[in-house]
Amino acid sequence: MPTDRRSQGRGLRPCLPLVALLAALAGSPASAQSTPPSGRLLAAQCAQCHGTNGRAVGGFESIAGMKANDLYKSLLEMSRRRPENIMDLQARAYTPAQLRLIAEYLATLPRARD
Amino acid sequence: MSNRRTFVKMAALAAAGWSLSRPLAAQMARPRVVVVGGGFGGATVAKYLKLWGGNVDVTLVDRASSHYACILSNLVITGALPISRIQLGYQSLKTNRGVEVLQGEALTVDPVARELTVQVGSGRQTLPYDRLVLSPGVEFTPPVGRYDPVLTPHAWKAGPQTLLLRDRLRAMTANQTFILTIPKSPYRCPPGPYERACAVADYLKRRKRGARVLVLDANAGIQAEPRNFGNAFAGIYKDVLTYVPDSTILSVDSDTGVLVTTQGSFTGDVVNIIPEHRAGQLVIDTGLANDPTGRWAVVDPLTYASVAEPDIHVLGDSQGTGQPKSGHMANSQAKVCADAIIRAFNGETPDPAPVTSSACFSPITSSTASWLTASFQYDPATRTMKRVDASFAEASRPTSDGMQQMFQWADNIFADSFA
Repeated sequence: MPTDRRSQGRGLRPCLPLVALLAALAGSPASAQSTPPSGRLLAAQCAQCHGTNGRAVGGFESIAGMKANDLYKSLLEMSRRRPENIMDLQARAYTPAQLRLIAEYLATLPRARD
Repeated sequence: MSNRRTFVKMAALAAAGWSLSRPLAAQMARPRVVVVGGGFGGATVAKYLKLWGGNVDVTLVDRASSHYACILSNLVITGALPISRIQLGYQSLKTNRGVEVLQGEALTVDPVARELTVQVGSGRQTLPYDRLVLSPGVEFTPPVGRYDPVLTPHAWKAGPQTLLLRDRLRAMTANQTFILTIPKSPYRCPPGPYERACAVADYLKRRKRGARVLVLDANAGIQAEPRNFGNAFAGIYKDVLTYVPDSTILSVDSDTGVLVTTQGSFTGDVVNIIPEHRAGQLVIDTGLANDPTGRWAVVDPLTYASVAEPDIHVLGDSQGTGQPKSGHMANSQAKVCADAIIRAFNGETPDPAPVTSSACFSPITSSTASWLTASFQYDPATRTMKRVDASFAEASRPTSDGMQQMFQWADNIFADSFA
C-alpha cells in the first residue's frame, strides 16, 4: 500500500477523543450494550446441541428457563459420576463456579415453548 | 467517500462547534465488523455479533451463495443423504439477524487503512472495518507430481468435491480398490478421515463385492477415537479395509491413480487424496500465518486477535492455538471472539476465562455412530487454551443412539451457526 495512506491511517489514531465527542452529540454510547451478563459466553457453549439461547431445534433438550438450582445440581452430578454419555464429559470441562454461572444465566432466559 | 474520510470531516465539523443531526451522528458511532468466510466460524461470529452486540454493523463475505457443511458429508458420499441435507444458506442471517451478506472473493487486506478489497462480479468493492474477522477455513498444499483434484478428489471441502467423490464411488465395480490418504496432523476434523474410511468400507461391503479400501495415513497411528476406529478396522471391516500408518505421499499421478509413498507404491481405481493443510490464502497473504511452521495464525485465545495485527481476528481452521480444527470448535471460538469484540467496542477487557469445546459424532456403520469430545480452558500462566483432560473421551462403543444423536447435533449446530 502507498505510504501516504499508511500515514493517513496512523494519523487518525490520536483523533479518538473525537469519537467520544461525536457519540456524546449523538446522545448514545459508542455501541449498544454494557458489560455482558456473566455466564452468557459460557452458556453459549451449550448451544451447539441445546440451541441458541438454550432453545433446541429438535432432539436435545431445551435448557432455557430451567430453575438455576436444578440445572446446577444436574450439571454438578454429571461432572462427578462415572462418565457414560457425552454430557458427563462436557460437564467436566467447567469448574463448579462456572457451572453455576451457566445455570444462573440460562435460568434468566425465557422458557422454550413445547 | 470512505467512512473514515467522512469521519474526519464530521469530526472537524464537530470540533468547530457545528451541530450534527442525530441520525447521522448515531450512524457514525456504529462500529463495523467485516467477516471473511461463511463456514461455521464466520457464520457464527456474524450471528453472535448481531445477537449480542446490537448496534454493530456486520458484513459477511463469502465467494459462494451458500455453505456446504463437512459435517454429515461422508454420508452424502455414500449416497445415504442428499447434498441438500448439508447445504446451509445465509438467508436467516440476513433476515433474522441483520447481517449484511456480500457474495464475492476477498482479495486483499490493508491493515493500516483497515480496508478489505472484495471482487464482486466484474467489479471491486472496498469495505472499511473497525474489526476484521478471518475465518476462511483451510488451503491445501498440493502433493508432488501430476496432481489433479478433479481426477483424485479430496472432498475435504464439501460441495462439488463431495459429489465428485460420490459419483466415483458409485461407479466402482467389483474387486476394485478405493485409496484414501490422510495428511499429517494438524488437519481439519481429526476423526473425519477414519470416519470416511468406515463409511466407504461399509458401502463397499454392501454394494461392491470384493472391492477394498486402502487407508494410507501419513501419521504414526489413528489420530482420533483410536478405540472405535481401531476396533472397526480390525473387526467388522477387516476383510475390506487395510490400514497403513506412516505412509507419507512422495508423489502422485492422478491420471494413473499411482501413489508413491514411504511405504511403497500403490494403485487405486478411485483415489481420494486429502492433501496437507495450511491456513486460508488470505491469512497467508496478509502475513498472519506466523506460527513456527508458517502454516497457521498465532492469535490471542482470549479474543482470537492476531498477534501481528490486533484489529484482525483469525478463528476456526486457520488459527494456530492447537485446538482441534472442526466446525464445532470454530463455532465455539467464534462466540469467544464475538464477545471479545463487543467488549472492546465498549472499552472493556475480554472475558479472562473462556471455555471452548468440540463434540462430534461419527458414523461407524450405516446404523451406528460413535462420538468424541474435548474441552479447553484458558490457562493464564501460558496464555494458551489447555485441554481439560477429564473432559476428553470417545464413546465406549458405536451405538444406534449415537446415530440418532448425530443428526440431532447436526440440526442444532447448523441452526446455532446459520439461523
